[in-house]
Amino acid sequence: MDRPFLGKDLLSRSLRISWVLALALTALLLPSRPSVALAIAAGQLIASSNFVFLRTLVKLFTEKRSAGVPQGRILFIVFAKFLFVYGGAFALIRVAGVAFAPFSIGLGLPLLTLFLKSTIANVAKPAAFILLTLVALTAPTLCLAAEHAAAAHAEEGGSELPNWLVILHDWVHGNPVVDWLNANQILAFAWIGGLAFLAFSWFAMRKPKMVPGQLQNGLEWIIESMEDICGGMLGKHLDRYFPFIGAVFFYILTINLIGIFPGMKSSTSSLDLTLALALIVFLYVQFSGIKNLGLLGYLDHLAGSPRDAIGFAMLPVMIPVHVLGELVKPVSLSCRLFGNIFGEDTLIVVFVGVAAMCLKASLTLLAVPPLMGITALFMLLQTLTSIVQALIFSLLTTVYLYMMLPHEEHAHGETEHAH
Amino acid sequence: MNFSATLGLALPIGIGLAAIGSGIGLGFMGRGAMEAMGRQPEALPKIQVAMIIGFGFIEALTIYAFVTMFFLQGKIQ
Repeated sequence: MDRPFLGKDLLSRSLRISWVLALALTALLLPSRPSVALAIAAGQLIASSNFVFLRTLVKLFTEKRSAGVPQGRILFIVFAKFLFVYGGAFALIRVAGVAFAPFSIGLGLPLLTLFLKSTIANVAKPAAFILLTLVALTAPTLCLAAEHAAAAHAEEGGSELPNWLVILHDWVHGNPVVDWLNANQILAFAWIGGLAFLAFSWFAMRKPKMVPGQLQNGLEWIIESMEDICGGMLGKHLDRYFPFIGAVFFYILTINLIGIFPGMKSSTSSLDLTLALALIVFLYVQFSGIKNLGLLGYLDHLAGSPRDAIGFAMLPVMIPVHVLGELVKPVSLSCRLFGNIFGEDTLIVVFVGVAAMCLKASLTLLAVPPLMGITALFMLLQTLTSIVQALIFSLLTTVYLYMMLPHEEHAHGETEHAH
Repeated sequence: MNFSATLGLALPIGIGLAAIGSGIGLGFMGRGAMEAMGRQPEALPKIQVAMIIGFGFIEALTIYAFVTMFFLQGKIQ
């Protein structure tokens, strides 16, 4: 080819991407719904061959102009295109009885990728990629949700969305690793969260610079504002306790945020993990209390620091009250985190369940508003809840630590003087 | 009136009552924080932190009712 053919590269690239997408969709849907998957693949085949025929025609018209238009070949290609594309589509729908909706999804895939690639080629390429990935991830989840919805509603009011481990468990039978992962989903997703944060922080802080890039800047901003907030309470103890508080904050934040991706699950929507975290915090706080105040000081603190006759007279009342107050802390911490995340998840499950029921009843148009709009809205809310709950958990840890640590007598006296 | 019917009636009402209480509490808290922020914009971070912690405590009350509902929900036949 002498001169570069405008758009040829774009067309072939988007065709390639649409093939990848279609094959991925087909592979994902093949085990559960073979007819739908094959219809998508057939639609993709027809549409992409249509594009290929069109490209050949355009090439014939534009390039061989000097040597005269080859009438025979053009007629042949037009005839082949009509026979293959339109005849093939007609035969598939009328004779073979292919379902119309998945077939048109397959037909639309090359058009969609071409549209996306041509309109937002360079500006928002990552965004388009993420969007398509999300859509591709959501599709099997929805299909499975539609299948599970009836059974789940029959039992006990749909409890949660099927995630990737459930889907894997449905596909692979009798693999001990998959069985174990399915039985311990909370653990698996907590690991994924921890590893994701490790990878992210390593990626962001791999080459720390004096003038930080976007990622490093963002992470440093988060850490610095956390340090400011905690430093206001802990004062000189900040350096010792901030690593623990920061670790708790980022761990909970990552685990919460992971639940937003379709097919993933927030491990914090189970009381097991939150109770474990709260117990860790509880033991750490008690331990640091004993370490800082000494055993006698710790007991004195539990007794409410009696200094006069009335204080000692109130001892039988004060000790149980303080001990109960300490014991209630992990319960309230864990229930708060669990309730918030679980509540948000349940809201999304209810709306996706509605969409799944509509899809099951072939009311696709009715399914779109709850699926897209409301779910997206609640996902926004879920992001907010995730961040705020992680912040509250770590801030309360700070407060409990602050209550346990020896207060500065000097500052105390000043405030009393001011009164 | 049997056990299930009582539970089915009481759980939503309980959550509603808890939400009313929390709502009133959050309203007071928000008003106080907003007034303080308006009066002393330079103390904004401190007020915000205290406000968020307070929100956490108040909101937990509704969450307790919510969790209780989920624990008892399975008992409705």
